[in-house]
Formats: sequence, C-alpha cells, structure tokens
Amino acid sequence: MAYVTGAGMVKIDRHYSLGVRELAAQAAEKALEDSERSSVDFVIAASSLSFMQEPQLDLASYLASTLGLRGVKALTVEAGEASGAAAVQAALALVKSGLARRVLVVGVDKMTDYNSPETYRHLQHLYDTVGEGFHKIGHAGIAGILMRLYMTEYGVDREVMAYWSALMHANAKENPYAMLRFALDPSKVKNAMPLADPVTLLDAYPLGDGAAAIVIESSPGRAMASILTVESATGYPSVAHRQNPLHIESLAEAASKAGIMGGDGRMRIDFMEIHDSFTITAFMILETLGASDKGKAAEDAAEGRYSRDGELPVNPSGGLKARGHPIGATGFYQYAEAAMQLAGVFPGVKVGDAKRGAVVSLNGFGSSSYVGLLSRP
Amino acid sequence: MTMQKHWRNRRSLYRLEGAQCMDCGRVFYPPAPRCVYCGSGRLERKQLPRRGTLVSYSVVYSVSDEGRKEAPVIVGLIDLGDAKVIAEVTDADPDELQVGIQVEAVLRRLGVQGESGVIYYGLKFRPALGAD
Repeated sequence: MAYVTGAGMVKIDRHYSLGVRELAAQAAEKALEDSERSSVDFVIAASSLSFMQEPQLDLASYLASTLGLRGVKALTVEAGEASGAAAVQAALALVKSGLARRVLVVGVDKMTDYNSPETYRHLQHLYDTVGEGFHKIGHAGIAGILMRLYMTEYGVDREVMAYWSALMHANAKENPYAMLRFALDPSKVKNAMPLADPVTLLDAYPLGDGAAAIVIESSPGRAMASILTVESATGYPSVAHRQNPLHIESLAEAASKAGIMGGDGRMRIDFMEIHDSFTITAFMILETLGASDKGKAAEDAAEGRYSRDGELPVNPSGGLKARGHPIGATGFYQYAEAAMQLAGVFPGVKVGDAKRGAVVSLNGFGSSSYVGLLSRP
Repeated sequence: MTMQKHWRNRRSLYRLEGAQCMDCGRVFYPPAPRCVYCGSGRLERKQLPRRGTLVSYSVVYSVSDEGRKEAPVIVGLIDLGDAKVIAEVTDADPDELQVGIQVEAVLRRLGVQGESGVIYYGLKFRPALGAD
C-alpha cells in the first residue's frame, strides 16, 4: 500500500520574489512538516515550464540541495500538464516495490516571469510540435476548435456553458490556496476578452506561479489517505486523429484500468478533482467518463449535479479554472486536495463524508491521461 | 523554430503528404514511422486531397510574438475524407467564416525567423474558390 502522510501547497499567484526552487521548497517544507518527517529516500520533482522559464535543468538535484537534503536520490519528471500525476505514479511504483519507503514528491512551475505571448509560446509546446503545435495555435487554439465543434455537434447553448466557470469560482472563493478567489457572474463569460474564439479569458485557466507537494510512504503512520492506484494511458498525438475529437480515448482507458466506474454506470467515488484547463476540457472529461451523457455536461453543471451538494461534487478546490494551473505543479494540488478532503481537513469547500475520490489529469486534450483513486486510509 | 526542423517536415508541409497503413488501412497526417492507430511499421506515403470540409475552427488572439503581426490567426480542423488535419485558415474574414464550407490547400508564408532570417512557407487552407 501507499499512503499520503503530508501535503503542502503555496497559494497560486504572481510570486515575483520567489524562484522556482524557493517556491518548491515552501511547499515541500510544509508537506514534510505535515508528515512529521525530516528525512526521505527519494525526492521527485515535477515541472514542465521551468526548463524554459527559469530556465533550470536537473531541477530535483538542485531542489534537494535547497531543501538541505544533499545525498538523497532525486529524479525530475516532465509530462506536460500531467507532470504531477506522472510523478505520483512513479513515487507509487517506488514505494509499492519496496525501492523506497518515503518519497517527497513536489511540483512547481512559474508562468509569470515572461510576458503572456512568450508564455503562450512555451505552452504551445504541450501540443505535438510536428503536428498541430507547429501552427500558431497558442495555448487555447485547440480548445477553441473543440468548443465550437461541441456547440455545433450537440447544439449546446454558449450561455449554458458559462455555468462551469461560475461554479469553479464559487468553490475557489473558499480555497485559501486558489488564485482567483472571487465570484463570477456567468453572464460575463461569453463576452469577455477572446483568447481563441469561442474560448474567452473566463473559460481558461489563469497564468500563475505555484508549487505543491505530498509525502508518500509505505507505512500508514498518521496517514491522511491511501493512494489505491494511479493508472494512465497515452493517446493519439492530435485530436484530429480521433474519430470523435471530443472523446478522450486515453482517459477512457485509464479510467477503466483504475476502476472508478461501477458496473451500473455510476461512479464509485464521492468526489473528483479534474483537469478543467478550459470549459470544454471539463465537459469532454465528464462525458468521456460517462458522468454526463454526450452533449449534456454543460446542462448538468448548470443544474447543480457537480456542485458541492450535488450528485457528484467535482473540483471542490475551484479546479484549474479558478484554483489555478501552474502546469507541472497542478497534479500535486489535485492529489493534496483529494487527500485533505478524505482526511476532512481541506480548508475550502468540504465534501461531506467523502470516502473515495478520484483525480483526473491530462496533457493537452489527452496525449496522455492519468486517473488516480484515493480512499480514506 | 529552426530551419532544420522546417526542412525535416518539408514533405508534409509543402505536399500535404500523410501516411497510409498497409495493415489497418487507415490514413493519418503528418506521417510518422509507425501507424498512430495500430502501431504497424508497414506504411506508404500518401498525398492527401487538397480540398476538404471545415469541421470546426477557432479565431486565436492569444498567440506568441511570432504571430502577433497577423493576429488573430484562424486555425481549423479540416476533414479531407481520408484523414482530418489541423492547419491555419487564410484569406477569410473571421466574421464570415462558417463550419461546413469547402476549403482548399494553398502555399503561403508561415513565418519569418528574425529580421533577416529565413522565410518559412507551408500549406494553409482558404475557402475554396468557386465553392459549391
């Protein structure tokens, strides 16, 4: 078994005064303190943009020194927007195989040291650079194509789609680590600044700096949660390769391996933290998992199915939309939040009596997908 | 982007070359050493039709500095029958563009490297002339 014994997060924000390592160290020290441990066998650092923004290679080794852990084994993981989930998966393999007893996994990325167009250029590399990423798609172009396809294919009203962002803001408002802690009027979304029409600024994750960490151990100690599994699958390089570009085949595969769906079509979890990089990503995930029927996720969200008191609370943290999405660190926010929910200590929107939760992470629109399943210890 | 990378991709960029799998029969773009669907290495290069249907598109404002001068940039998902591709759409007014129209491939300038650098060309798609 593998247990989460500590979690630490930094509020996602513009941290001009902190470098990548200092930001990561803040989260890591909180996680270590939380787990009441000072030594670990392994440090795994996850980061995606720091190779371009800081820029720093071999991040984990330098971070180990920043943490005063010289001599520890260290490894850096990069898997785009799914870097965090990939690092948790690696840590799980180390702990379950007995190669490590205690692993500190920490994710960090800064997105505000450059102006936005330069960051959009970095983010474009999340897509296949000999395929669609070769063109000037920015960070949101594929989201724009998919959102228009969704509206055309299913006849979904643009106004109804806006309730997703409003729900995320309502949740983030109560999360002290969230970047956007204010309510959002759904009527403002459609006519906000266009990023990649029909996607507007209010459909997209904000650019922010963040770091989050968890400690994963083989012995329960004072565990917050168990990580039952982290499953993943790689997908097609482009949404253009899919028969239905709105269906994320790699996610369907990862979810089936993780067993989060029951035989009756209902989900065997009490809440989820999902990768809602854009409004359309949230709907694609919910529909691929079967939580909503095809073309119905927007309506379901507007009617409260995914709200805190709904049938299946999704993103009590505020999600990528409002908690924020510091690329390589995002997975750790998700796992830290899920573990805290299960331990009943999440300082924001609490899901009552949560026994099992899932974490869904993607790169892009599913070049890879990860599904983690956690439970009370 | 470097000149070398552009050169490596010249066949897909200039000639709209994809690949057809000899085992599963499917066609995909851009070509790769193995079939993206079944993993087979038995592939043949295949020139894709230059005309297709615009399935969806986005008008992109949040582009990098390289695309600032031409922003907004229209990118489209185009169904060429054998395969779907994502590429830039040109010669179109964003307000008049519509899903479902016929588009055709046309060679255009993709970008310039620096002030006196190489000018890159490649295929974009424009609303088909004499479209039905």
